[in-house]
Amino acid sequence: MTLSRRHLMTGAAALAGSAALPGPAAAQDRANVGMILIGPVGDFGWSHMHDQGRRRMLEVLGDRVTSNLVESVAPPDFDRVATQLIRTGARLIFTTSFSYFAPTQRLAPRHPNVFFENATGPATLPNMAVYNARFYEGRYVQGVIAARKSRSKQIGYVATFPVPEVIHAINTVMRGAWSVDPSMRIRVVWVNAWSNPGREAEAARALIDQGCDVLCSHTDGPAPLQLAEQRGIHGFGQASDMTRFAPNAHLTSSVNSWGDYYAARARAVLEGNWQASDTWGGLGSGMFSLAPFTNMTPEQASEAERIRDALANGTLHAFDGPIIRQDGTPVIPAGQRLTDDQIRAMNYFYQGIDVAMP
Amino acid sequence: MRLVLERRAETPWTLNLLSPLLAVGLTLASAVLVFLAMGQDPWQALWVYFLMPLSDSWGLQEVAVKATPLVLIAVGLALCYRSNNCNIGAEGQFLLGAIAGGGLAVAMHGADAGRWLLPAMLGVGALAGAAWAMVPALLKTRFGVNEILTSLMLVYVAQLLLDWLVRGPWRDPDGFNMPHTVVFGAEATVPLLLEGGRLNLGTPIMLAVVVLGAVLLGRTLKGFEITLVGEAPRAARFAGFDEKRLTWTVFAITGALAGLAGVLEAAGTVRQLQPDLSPGYGFTAIIVAFLGRLNPLGCLVAGVFLAITFIGGENAQIMLQMPLDVTRVFQGLLLFYVLACDTLLLYRPRLLRRSGA
Repeated sequence: MTLSRRHLMTGAAALAGSAALPGPAAAQDRANVGMILIGPVGDFGWSHMHDQGRRRMLEVLGDRVTSNLVESVAPPDFDRVATQLIRTGARLIFTTSFSYFAPTQRLAPRHPNVFFENATGPATLPNMAVYNARFYEGRYVQGVIAARKSRSKQIGYVATFPVPEVIHAINTVMRGAWSVDPSMRIRVVWVNAWSNPGREAEAARALIDQGCDVLCSHTDGPAPLQLAEQRGIHGFGQASDMTRFAPNAHLTSSVNSWGDYYAARARAVLEGNWQASDTWGGLGSGMFSLAPFTNMTPEQASEAERIRDALANGTLHAFDGPIIRQDGTPVIPAGQRLTDDQIRAMNYFYQGIDVAMP
Repeated sequence: MRLVLERRAETPWTLNLLSPLLAVGLTLASAVLVFLAMGQDPWQALWVYFLMPLSDSWGLQEVAVKATPLVLIAVGLALCYRSNNCNIGAEGQFLLGAIAGGGLAVAMHGADAGRWLLPAMLGVGALAGAAWAMVPALLKTRFGVNEILTSLMLVYVAQLLLDWLVRGPWRDPDGFNMPHTVVFGAEATVPLLLEGGRLNLGTPIMLAVVVLGAVLLGRTLKGFEITLVGEAPRAARFAGFDEKRLTWTVFAITGALAGLAGVLEAAGTVRQLQPDLSPGYGFTAIIVAFLGRLNPLGCLVAGVFLAITFIGGENAQIMLQMPLDVTRVFQGLLLFYVLACDTLLLYRPRLLRRSGA
């Protein structure tokens, strides 16, 4: 897109008279969509796939939608960047990190004519939706595969922050692994960043040195998987198909696909029927999928496919009881299932996870 | 013919002024080339990059907010560098100020503290920054330890301390386990000055510090001492100036200013403590100090210029779909040209006719 000086001036005029913007419910011909990324657009993972989704949205909606992107925005800079997006005409803004949840929540009430969408916060406002995918379903499959591949019975998990989203992901890997072999254990290292290739690789190195021979990671890029490749063990890709970064180590990747959701939400803004929804799509929804299973025997791959399909069509559920905490106290008995709210508030580790909650 | 560089006997003051301007000019010229190579209209890109941040009140306020910590730290660093004390640990002193002031805000959160809270936070923050800076000063004067290493290494200590505090004892109990403290209460927040923007009391404080710094350097005996110790340490000793005491003084001032910047940033712009509180202000301020010719007024100009490149870089991402890396390239180019142009201060280029042959 090229912008002429005149466009800039109309942008400036729009800032001056934001009261003249159409109200939230009015249909409109065109919409400007902003996106704020926590990491670099070239991380080959989380942020990259959000940008891919944005491009898909532009393809689907054509010239009815324009879109601006700002990458590597640290949370302290969020206010300024989001305000600038609004001032240059954005009507819909995707803030694509849990770290932006609280800042988005603070900003949204001050701009009632703008719609905000946060991935992956836990609460909505009248003009703020949240969206996420049930990545834990992929984690369950990872747990099953890891239990089949591991000889040391130790899975390493490169984790980001101890937020419920990451905690329940670690727990589902454990649950999946247990369904194959109850002697499986998980070790966790926190890198306290969503994207920091240096620290991710260090964490992976530490886990491998402690005897882990399958690596899961929750960070945004391929660094842990690349280290698994170097050290001759196995690992999983995160957010995009990372086979090419580790042709011998890669087992499968969780592949995010936000394009259809972004197109639908931008279309809702165009049609004037946007609502503050809370979306949590599973394997069956198309919001994410699993990359082709590699470096496995045909039996292992077909088992993984069977479990993936069962999770997608709902015959298998990742949070069925019995669920037992790390310290041995039961959460729910067999026959019960955690509710979505309980999953989203999860603040404890299951038995078999060898790390204290920080 | 060939071009040679001859050492100057004396540097004319005009060059002192012209050299940074030339550097900025060369940066802009390079920017035009980069924009052309990226297929952008260079004039429009320059406008978005360097003028749009200044085109309205909101943009100006954001530039002021971004420049405030840079200038505050750089003024202190200028004193240090002039007196030959290589403090490169301002980042750590900044964080310690934020930790001390922010810690007070966290401790008093919900306790209905009075109006004394914010001044107390600023005071504690400045003291903590100064105390952190005294460590390399003490090691230098007492044991002759290189202050470049010690001040830099204390940055990492400060970063890890902040990281531990916000993940452990000071973590927000309602923050979904994210590593940050509670959002500070109203009485622990630096007041905003204008409607519709984020300009806060920190900017007037910064301007006052610039004036005080300029007076100190230009009009007082202490200022003369600082310059003399840096330029002619032997002469300074003969004049009876105590070099060690001066080291303590400048480190304390720098640390206090960096600590003040830290607590102003925590209580003004961010309003909570979190691990990525500073995008490297303490290090960027080193560029600001040198770009500003180690002169407080120069630091003000340089700080504002760097703030513009930060905000212009975001605007360029939004308006022109230019990647963030372009901003980093510009900042790198700027420092490169400043250092290159400084050669002209010490040396004179001269064309030599090849004689004979």
